[in-house]
Amino acid sequence: MNQKIPYKSMPPKRVRHKKITDRHNGKEQIYYEIRKVLSGTRSRMAFLLLALVLGITLYFALGVEYVNEAGESERGPAAVASLRAAQKAWSGYLEEETIRQVIAENRRINETPEGRSEQIKESNIAYGWKQGIAEIRSLLNCSYAEAFRTYDYYRADSLTEEAAGAFYENRTRLLQEWLADEAGDQYLEAEKVYLIGKYESLETPFYYDYRKGWTQLFTFAPTVVMITMLFLGYLVAGIFSNEFVWRADAVFFASCHGRDRAVAAKVWAGVGIVTAVYWMVMLIYSAAVLGYLGADGWNCPVQTEQGDWKCFYHLTVWQKYVLIAAGGYVGCLFMAGLCMLVSARVRSAVPAVMVPFVLIFLPSFLGNLESAAVNKILGLLPDRLLQVGTALGYFDLYTLGGRVMGAVPILLVLYGIGAAAVLPVVYWCFVRS
Amino acid sequence: MKLEIENLTKKFQDVAAVDGVSCTLTTGVYGLLGVNGAGKTTLMRMLCTLLKPTEGRILWDGKDIFELDGAYRRVLGYLPQDFGFYPDFTVRDYLRYISSIKGLRPVAARQRTALLLQQVGLEKAENKKMKKLSGGMKRRVGIAQAMLNDPRILILDEPTAGLDPNERIRFRNLISELAQDRLVLLSTHIVSDIEYIANEILLMKDGKICIAGTTEELTAGMPEQVWRVSVPRNEAASYTKRYKVSNIKTLHGEAQLRILSVERPADNAVLEEAVLEDVFLHYFGERAGGGEE
Ligand SMILES: Nc1ncnc2c1ncn2[C@@H]1O[C@H](COP(=O)(O)OP(=O)(O)OP(=O)(O)O)[C@@H](O)[C@H]1O
Ligand SMILES: [Mg+2]
Repeated sequence: MNQKIPYKSMPPKRVRHKKITDRHNGKEQIYYEIRKVLSGTRSRMAFLLLALVLGITLYFALGVEYVNEAGESERGPAAVASLRAAQKAWSGYLEEETIRQVIAENRRINETPEGRSEQIKESNIAYGWKQGIAEIRSLLNCSYAEAFRTYDYYRADSLTEEAAGAFYENRTRLLQEWLADEAGDQYLEAEKVYLIGKYESLETPFYYDYRKGWTQLFTFAPTVVMITMLFLGYLVAGIFSNEFVWRADAVFFASCHGRDRAVAAKVWAGVGIVTAVYWMVMLIYSAAVLGYLGADGWNCPVQTEQGDWKCFYHLTVWQKYVLIAAGGYVGCLFMAGLCMLVSARVRSAVPAVMVPFVLIFLPSFLGNLESAAVNKILGLLPDRLLQVGTALGYFDLYTLGGRVMGAVPILLVLYGIGAAAVLPVVYWCFVRS
Repeated sequence: MKLEIENLTKKFQDVAAVDGVSCTLTTGVYGLLGVNGAGKTTLMRMLCTLLKPTEGRILWDGKDIFELDGAYRRVLGYLPQDFGFYPDFTVRDYLRYISSIKGLRPVAARQRTALLLQQVGLEKAENKKMKKLSGGMKRRVGIAQAMLNDPRILILDEPTAGLDPNERIRFRNLISELAQDRLVLLSTHIVSDIEYIANEILLMKDGKICIAGTTEELTAGMPEQVWRVSVPRNEAASYTKRYKVSNIKTLHGEAQLRILSVERPADNAVLEEAVLEDVFLHYFGERAGGGEE
């Protein structure tokens, strides 16, 4: 035929497939799978968006204020240092004597002209003086509250030193009263015993320290983890469906490993992306918050913070951090697994991207139903893993084989197994398509 | 080296896209010729283990290909008709990735990629992103991809679709070059694509292989003869109604018709040698390459 434009001849030496093929190239496959996901402007935009949201979250997390001698709010490293110094002055075991001193100090400030003043500027100055005891003062509000579920910001102001001795007893007493009355029909007898036992066996006195870094870290952790999950959902949603969307499936499945290793590589690529992105975000977030605000207070019991005063888990601050980080990881892995499953099954990324949205936002709508039975189920949904810090504060109890347990350990085990189980299903599902 | 197809049937709902096909393929180029919807793609997808047959089996050297699974696909190269790719991969990345899922060692993958890029004339485009290639370049990457594992069985579904005549010719040359020592099955509905390079031609119609043989066998075996008739232009229409006309050429008010007929269609008719296109017309009752309309 047309001899003017021939293709170059193949060299005489021919390589036979038996010599050139090999079994151990899984890593290469995973590498290219990850590149398929990460190359392209869309994923780059997604990364930028994640960085942006993380930046905004950090702005709020690091936005700790300190009220100076003039009653003005300050921000920035100097403000953090001042707050830290003020609260460090009260670090130590919260024994009866310390409580007494805090009550006295609070009253002393209240009785100064600034403390009595109705003017904003003056009362700001008085508030500034209270910053050192502010956290402990909040604990007083909790301990001496009228009822288990009430919180009165001014309760501490009406206390006298004589009350100091009841600081820890109040915690258990209010719980007992609540269980006997208002919450009486919400819990089984064994569960009540369990809760009270947990309260009574909590080691006192608490060791208190400046711990603003951790408090801020915990406050914004659910936001960070959820944003990361939505982002991960977007990334992994395409791993399987894009093969069809790009019409590359025929070549893929007709290749030697198209129904075994190449599919496994996809699953591992998903796991790899979740692992790398999650821990990278977690590391950046934690390092930024703790680096800026300080990691002091890591060994305090979680109950030294107003929000966790009622928490029935016996945990120190660093243990809570580990649970939050690990729970978030398990949750992301599980949800990403579901995402990949939907992607492999329906061959479209759109419903797959929706999976994390539904799993994260649906429970909060259902939560408004205020039904005990619904709440029992909600307590075990995977979104709780993305906010373990919050879940630790919930009174979700489950009785399994006569043993009463909180939701968090169940969640970790349940979805740890769930994540491990969903991945083979994804594999199997895609191999058979 | 033998690929046996036994009574192969594929039904979509109640429609049999491939209907009881049996044949044996060995080394050489096989041209699968058929109109749109004849079932070529469906047959090929089964040969690539992408579709499970409703009935029948496919044996590679006596073993069922679905049981051989990966071991069969190890010796298989496939260029799909509807061929997609990863838009953000460069040509080289793409070939390296396909090498990896075909189980090539990295060293072999590098060598094969370089060699094939050269063979299909894409060395200069190796760093181009796939989404930026022209249709013809994509097809060439497609061929290269199919050849990566140096397959014994090469299945090409309409490899020349969408190519300009020049590219077509280059493709033909490339394919005959690649064909040594392999089984190449090539589908098309364009006769000239395979007329000269195929050792054997399979004509497919309504899911069945209606006839198979070399070009010579097919042309010789055709019951009708080919005639050339010159008639006045205004009479041409009456001939197209009565006969299968494979070509009409008008020249100075005269029409020159190429007619398939058992008996002499007109007194001035001259016998011509039949070509594959005439065979196609004979079996499919329409002009080859013209599609259904
Ligand atoms: N997935 C499917 N579901 C239902 N019907 C299908 C499917 N794939 C193919 N068909 C039908 O099977 C028949 C054969 O299709 P096929 O694609 O094999 O034809 P073809 O010879 O490759 O045609 P073309 O020359 O247009 O590529 C057609 O009637 C088609 O509509
Ligand atoms: Mg086709």
